[in-house]
Amino acid sequence: MLNSRQPLQSIAAASTPLVSLRRGDSQLFETERRLNAVLNNASVSIFLMDDRQHCIYMNRAAEQLTGWTLDEVLARDCPLHDIVHHTYPDGRPFPLEECAIDRAFPENNQERGEEVFVHKDGHFFPVGFTASPIRDDATNIIGTIIEVRDISEEKAAAERQRLLINELNHRVKNTLATVQSIAAQTFRGQTDQTARSVFDARMAALSTAHNVLVEDNWESANLRSVIERALAPHLLAEVDLNRFQLQGPDARLHPKVAVTLAMALHELMTNAAKYGALSVPEGQVVLTWSLHDLEDNRQQLDLRWEECGGPVVTSPTRKGFGSRLIERQLPMEFDGSGEITYAPAGVICELQIPLTTLGWVGQETVEGRQAL
Amino acid sequence: MTLLVGRRVLLVEDESLVAMLAEDMLVDLGCEVVVAMRLDKALALARNKVFDLAVLDVNLGDARSYPIADLLFEHRTPFLFATGYGRQGLEEAYKAVPVLQKPYQAALLEHLLTRLLTGEAQARKVSGGGSMPCPCLGPDGQTFRADHCP
Repeated sequence: MLNSRQPLQSIAAASTPLVSLRRGDSQLFETERRLNAVLNNASVSIFLMDDRQHCIYMNRAAEQLTGWTLDEVLARDCPLHDIVHHTYPDGRPFPLEECAIDRAFPENNQERGEEVFVHKDGHFFPVGFTASPIRDDATNIIGTIIEVRDISEEKAAAERQRLLINELNHRVKNTLATVQSIAAQTFRGQTDQTARSVFDARMAALSTAHNVLVEDNWESANLRSVIERALAPHLLAEVDLNRFQLQGPDARLHPKVAVTLAMALHELMTNAAKYGALSVPEGQVVLTWSLHDLEDNRQQLDLRWEECGGPVVTSPTRKGFGSRLIERQLPMEFDGSGEITYAPAGVICELQIPLTTLGWVGQETVEGRQAL
Repeated sequence: MTLLVGRRVLLVEDESLVAMLAEDMLVDLGCEVVVAMRLDKALALARNKVFDLAVLDVNLGDARSYPIADLLFEHRTPFLFATGYGRQGLEEAYKAVPVLQKPYQAALLEHLLTRLLTGEAQARKVSGGGSMPCPCLGPDGQTFRADHCP
């Protein structure tokens, strides 16, 4: 197999014919000089491998990355893997057969991935690589070109972010629990138990809404999860599907929408349990929602809460926290609308919430998508 | 009764529950409150209506409230920032604006708003300005302290 095609040669071998070319073909000499300028000024490490996985060329960045010079690598006369990739970080030997970079050669396709290389001085460092086959005139693969980047800083940044998110999760939950404790201590024996339990339930609803956010690193929340968690009687219970009919597509919600919606649903549920459909065994709540496109590329969530089978509804004499949140704050917060109707057959609540675009401040600028 | 009774206050706060709390505090202080929870609505209000005072949350979801601050500067409407980050979270150009470090406290809010209204009188009385203890002038020239408020 090896003899069937012209193998790639190391630069040391290839440079001899180039000398003669310099005399005869100044254009080729110029091309070589440009290529060298490109390769040796590139910040990405480039390795050129023959069909035996021996490195026959590496640029200056590759020498700096590995600690080995091209001359040293050529002198070793062995697969590059055995020089820079021979050991797993846990100390086990790393045989060539297990190497994903090596597989790019026989598998005849571009291979990308992350590996951990060993520096000449023995320390390990994470790298990202792209390995592409090199073909001869007859499209036979005669070698591999490998681009390698040191990704230590990216790995460290990702780890720092993971730690920060863990800390954020911990802090938020702890702060909510602390507020709850302060309220409990402050109002012990001073407030009636009903007020205390309403407060505790609202704190729990807020905390549960944050659980949903934690699941997606605070970037968004799953609409269905927000609804199901808000309607479940407690953290360890599922929503009771004998009492709730839920119907609608899933969507990803901005954290602000998730928290306010969860609080609104909590208030509706509390009201239903106290006065409405959920205050009697046969009562039900039908919750349906849909999404439709707005003109500015955003979507709007239309959500309808309808109670049935409960006692005859009469309008409340006083508007409380729940109706203020739903009819006044929620529309103002999202430029939408919220309406509660006290129909005799059951409370109806209709919410229209234009969904805030997901992402973080400045994301469009960083990713070059900002409209000019 | 204080200087704050009957004052028209623009409250810009983007979280529903927090806005309710701040609004109630301002109403309890006797203010006439107009709430805006989004930058565009707040800008329209600041542009077209006259306010005696304003309370601005700094982070409004994906936006900051600085453009509202600029309009208030233009109209010479005294205002303060309410933010969880404190003064170090403010952009350099706005660091002279009084800051209410969240969470909102009624006594502190009253103290800062009153000082905004009497700021000029105070600047004449206290030489040098800068950091000073926090007595401020009541409606009839009497001094009162924020921590004595109910």
